[in-house]
Amino acid sequence: MKRATLATLAAATTLALPAAADTVDIGVLLPFSGVYAALGNEIEAGFALGLETYGNDLDVEIILHREDTEVTPATGLARTRKLILQSDVDAIVGVVSSGVLGAVRDMVDGAGVPLIVANAGNDAATGVDCSPWITRVSFSNSQVNRPMGRWMAEQGIETVYTLAPDYAAGRQMIEGFTGAFVEAGGTIVGSDYTPFQQTQDFGPYIAQAQASGADALFVFYAGGEAISFVNQYASFGAGDDLPLYGSGFLTSQLYVDAQGQSAEGVITALHYVPTIDNAENAAFVAAFRDATGRVPSEYAVQGYDAARALIEALETGARDRETLGAALRQVSFDGPRGALSIDPATNNVVQPIYVYETVQGANGMTQTVLAQLPAEADPVNGCQMPSLPTN
Amino acid sequence: MTQDLSFWTLQTLNALQLSMLLFLLSIGLTVIFGLMHFVNLAHGALYALGAYIAASIAGVAGFWVAIIAAPVGVALVGVVLYGGLIQRMRKSGPMAQVLVTFGLIFALLDLTRIFWGDLALAMSMPQVLSGQVDLLGVSYPAYRLFIILLGGAIFVALALVLSRTQIGAMIRAGVDNDAMAACLGINVERLFFVVFCVGCALAGLAGAVAAPLLSVTPGMGLQILIPTLIVIVIGGLGSLKGAVAGSLIYGFVQTFGAVLAPQLASVLIYALLAAVLVIKPVGLFPAKG
Amino acid sequence: MFRHTPLRYAVLAILAVAALVQTFTAGYFGLEILIEILILCLLVLALDLVAGFGGMVSLCHGALMGVGAYAFVALGTLAGLDPWLAALAAVAITAAMAWVIGAICARSHGIYFIMATLAFGQMAYSYVFESPLFGGDDGMGGIDRFDLGAIGLDLNDSRTFALFCLAVVVLAYLFSVAILRSGLGRSLSGVMHNEKRMKALGLNTWRIKADVFGLSGIIAGVAGVLAAQHIMFISPGLLNWTVSGEALVVVILGGLGTLVGPLVGAAAFVVMKHELGEITTYWHLVVGVILIAVVMSRANGIFGWVEARWGAAIERRLTDATRSPAKKEVSTDA
Repeated sequence: MKRATLATLAAATTLALPAAADTVDIGVLLPFSGVYAALGNEIEAGFALGLETYGNDLDVEIILHREDTEVTPATGLARTRKLILQSDVDAIVGVVSSGVLGAVRDMVDGAGVPLIVANAGNDAATGVDCSPWITRVSFSNSQVNRPMGRWMAEQGIETVYTLAPDYAAGRQMIEGFTGAFVEAGGTIVGSDYTPFQQTQDFGPYIAQAQASGADALFVFYAGGEAISFVNQYASFGAGDDLPLYGSGFLTSQLYVDAQGQSAEGVITALHYVPTIDNAENAAFVAAFRDATGRVPSEYAVQGYDAARALIEALETGARDRETLGAALRQVSFDGPRGALSIDPATNNVVQPIYVYETVQGANGMTQTVLAQLPAEADPVNGCQMPSLPTN
Repeated sequence: MTQDLSFWTLQTLNALQLSMLLFLLSIGLTVIFGLMHFVNLAHGALYALGAYIAASIAGVAGFWVAIIAAPVGVALVGVVLYGGLIQRMRKSGPMAQVLVTFGLIFALLDLTRIFWGDLALAMSMPQVLSGQVDLLGVSYPAYRLFIILLGGAIFVALALVLSRTQIGAMIRAGVDNDAMAACLGINVERLFFVVFCVGCALAGLAGAVAAPLLSVTPGMGLQILIPTLIVIVIGGLGSLKGAVAGSLIYGFVQTFGAVLAPQLASVLIYALLAAVLVIKPVGLFPAKG
Repeated sequence: MFRHTPLRYAVLAILAVAALVQTFTAGYFGLEILIEILILCLLVLALDLVAGFGGMVSLCHGALMGVGAYAFVALGTLAGLDPWLAALAAVAITAAMAWVIGAICARSHGIYFIMATLAFGQMAYSYVFESPLFGGDDGMGGIDRFDLGAIGLDLNDSRTFALFCLAVVVLAYLFSVAILRSGLGRSLSGVMHNEKRMKALGLNTWRIKADVFGLSGIIAGVAGVLAAQHIMFISPGLLNWTVSGEALVVVILGGLGTLVGPLVGAAAFVVMKHELGEITTYWHLVVGVILIAVVMSRANGIFGWVEARWGAAIERRLTDATRSPAKKEVSTDA
């Protein structure tokens, strides 16, 4: 129901806009229909809360222009062009799918419009395709999984079988994990990639993994596939000889209620879980619950922190594309996720990673943080960051 | 392949389980087509509706009530659709029917989003079926066995109804030649209505049964539509035998394709479909030549 | 056989004038929508050619368009071929592929034909989706538009690009009409109405269907090249069956087998989608209800309805009067 308030905010017309000094135009570029609609709504709810929490003392009015990317890169790019060329926005926040990010990358880079990425984790976006205009406050695919590879090896796990959907993000997540795990002395005994969003039955793959005799199973799934996978894995009773580990999206707060007890005992790693113990997070969880009636997920915190990054940039006095772009790269703060900063070499966020176990709580499933792994910047991966044009 | 026998037993059961789930869906669609020459692309949307109804009711009244209520609920929706749309579309060409059911897909998709939201729903399986059963030397999830048995039972029941009862004979006559059947005094319109509702109920049942296994999302209906169409086209339209054969072929090709040729898994079933249609342009067991 | 009635000329003229007015008056996003409509026009022309005049309802035309786009980008951006040459080769590849699909599927009818084409389309989709060479699901960018600097045009300007697309649509329309009026087109309508009789007359019906399917692939390929240039980015979603499904909806919504109707449908569909999308994220619901309402009216789509209602009257009135206004409209259109 939070959406209604933001929608009215966004309904502000784009017509009267000879950019007065006391307004900035911000594009909100998220999927509100299609398979990622739930993520779009979650990020938007977090973003709205972030503006409310941190934006009260601003001497500048934020005008939001809300655009639906659906799931298609083509639509995402068309809407981005509209935001830049017609709505004349000063910055854009959003982008859920890496496909859409890839599509809009050249446009925002060429036009010189700051983009705060609030989800899309494609490694290349802050690697070989990095841009001074693109600042990511969410995560990168390998960033989330690399520390987990090391951590699992430290726990004495020697052999692992991996599973992920057959698309770019799935491959990057697994490669991030595998690289670190093998480096730390582990062995990958087998891996499968399942047809993305076409696989109804994971039974064949689970049986295959069981037959491999590995110490553990490491997977990445998200959305509906995460729910199906965890439920089906639990029904095979494979947990005893093949414990399930994964990228934390597998047991995200967003789906853990739908997974129920099936998710119990699954150990995953992510940049945010709602049970992180710090004052910022306690305040955020309480406020988000008041606003929406549910516990925030990592998507919500990405939206929330995107809003905070934007406001911190505005507080430095930045008002237009160039100054905002420069200010966003300097942003750092202690948020619900712990200490965040932007790596100047890639413009990707630097943040701690949390290993957590999903457990049965008093009101449904909840998370126990097992370890907080220290923040480390991604390798530059071929990123040659040009400095922003100054004049 | 170094895996032992129990591995292959396990995969065979997996294949059967997927086949039976698809069978529940495709049988309704294929008989509706065979009898009424009606292409109901919204069949997948009805399956999603069944899953949503079941998931909502299971939270309040438990699994067994949900699994009965979902088919009844979807059949009621079927009654409304039949009275409002399908009956009037019977005489229109197939193009008009495709378009109307496309419109229904769009409408039902957004209606489920409005009623139930974009977040995935859950439905837990009953306690009795949540464990594993030792069978043929493997430990297999009881719930999956339940799906296999349920599919088998429905197949036997439908086979008996079609071959032994009067209404079965009427349906067979109708599939064969509806004009002639009408001349013989069969109330074809009423027959259509009954078959359509049963088909809807089975789609609802499939949705309810699939809900604890998969995730209940707005897109699930669209996701299952293509596999269902592949099943009935490979099998041949309008026949029970075709639906069973198509489901089994699909289930086994998907499952063993995933194990033996994972790189080809997503293309394999389409290649098979193309091959079947090249060799037998009307599928393997069409109701009529 | 395809015939231009005065009503059809009139609607074509109205569409052409509307497109021109839009080109010169619209803002940035209005031009984007116009270009989207024009590219969809190409796709639905290709689809109407096979579905409306040959009874071959295809669910692989979206994939064919995607093949055109991917071939263009692979040859142009990856292999470094001259853009015009790459476009030509891409169209040829698409047409060849369409011909092969048509030839294989030609023995099937009705829903079997639909499913057979779907199978080929989805195979192409899955291949591209999982192929690292073509960027997998991340797609490919860095696509340039044609360089028409030699004749003083800059296609990177939206207005010029819209005009360019409009010109291509006009050519594609004339191409379609030419096909339908040729011997091949006449044979095709014979095949659609009674395949057995055509066979008995000694015609190679299989060959006729495959040929028309291949020719329709040319238009789909052109649509793909333009789509790649318009977005300057391609992704596998272009090949998904839902694109074909949407195109089919547009063809039927506009009026199957009228060539003019699908153009009307394309404009109506895209405008509806964007206008409703502005208001609600549940625009599918509204589109769905409108689709159902159109079909329930028992007309052959929007244009079919207009034709059935006013077509005869207009023709009568015009044959009574002089025929010059109709003539004039032809020239605007061409």
